[in-house]
Amino acid sequence: MKTEFHFRDEDLRLGTHLVDDLDLDSIDAVDLAVRVEQKTGLSLDEADLKSIRTIQDIVDLIDERL
Amino acid sequence: MDQLSRWARIAGTAISFAVFGIGGLVLALLCLTVFRIVAKKPRDREERAQYLVHLAFRFHVWVMQRLGVCELSVRAGEGLHVPGGQLIVANHPTLIDVVLIGSLMPQLDCLVKTDASRNPFMRAVVRTAGYVPNDLGEAVVEACVARLQEGRSLLLFPEGTRSMKGGELGTFHRGAAHVALRSGRPILPLVIHCTPRALTRGQHWYDVGDRPMSFTIEIGEPIDPRRLTRPNESRGVASRKLTAALRDFYQARLYDRAGRGAGDAFQRRDLQVGHRPDEDRVPFPR
Repeated sequence: MKTEFHFRDEDLRLGTHLVDDLDLDSIDAVDLAVRVEQKTGLSLDEADLKSIRTIQDIVDLIDERL
Repeated sequence: MDQLSRWARIAGTAISFAVFGIGGLVLALLCLTVFRIVAKKPRDREERAQYLVHLAFRFHVWVMQRLGVCELSVRAGEGLHVPGGQLIVANHPTLIDVVLIGSLMPQLDCLVKTDASRNPFMRAVVRTAGYVPNDLGEAVVEACVARLQEGRSLLLFPEGTRSMKGGELGTFHRGAAHVALRSGRPILPLVIHCTPRALTRGQHWYDVGDRPMSFTIEIGEPIDPRRLTRPNESRGVASRKLTAALRDFYQARLYDRAGRGAGDAFQRRDLQVGHRPDEDRVPFPR
């Protein structure tokens, strides 16, 4: 997330809300999903993307799947 | 006298809304009948429909001027009628911004809310004109880029909706930046100055102000995305940079150097943007 969007470390917490706090739009969501897929080898579908609201959600999802 | 002129302008505004409604009906009928026969190919029909919308908007602006509801002038600048399709961006202070800009351009694509097409007349015109439906995400960006590549001009409002009540700029969404980056086209920024404020968000249609709305549309210098972003940057970063630059441009144009709101400066007519004697001011229609 830092490379893709140039967020700072202090802005990224587990509870950080992707849309409300980080102002991610639908195109960012696609880019984020692609990066996650690249890094983890997982493949995310639309339902997954819809359920992700915070950074914690991403972590949980990856945890579940790996 | 002031009260009289206010009532006259309220009546004028009401008539303008009626004209718009009737105009929509006429356009819809034309789109559904004559156009089907005269223009077989969808692309032809879209061009004709957009041209008709342009004529309708010009007429509408003329009506509003005759009724004393508004005045419109364009601060002359190059770039509006360059062939090949322009990516045009504008701030969005009032309800009639699309009408004003559309009156200047014989062909103009724009985004339309999918639910605005609840009105069957609007739906018919929108569909025939081939405007881009505002669903979310990649699909919209792709559709916009395609329009530009076909040589069609496209109007986007980064604020997405009308500016805030007090006249401050709303949040700038990054869609226009994405379209600019993906198409490689420069952004042509139009600045809509409007004083006094009427038909803005949070106002009733009858809040007509103490004198006719005076619109000045300023055509800015094209903003080249390649000069503001690096080729290997992620589109998340690039679109944010470009959008921030765009917002800064509008912030600077709409508010004077002292940082006061445009409303303050406009209290004194001589400071009104567009009234500087050395500017080349083109009254509309020409």
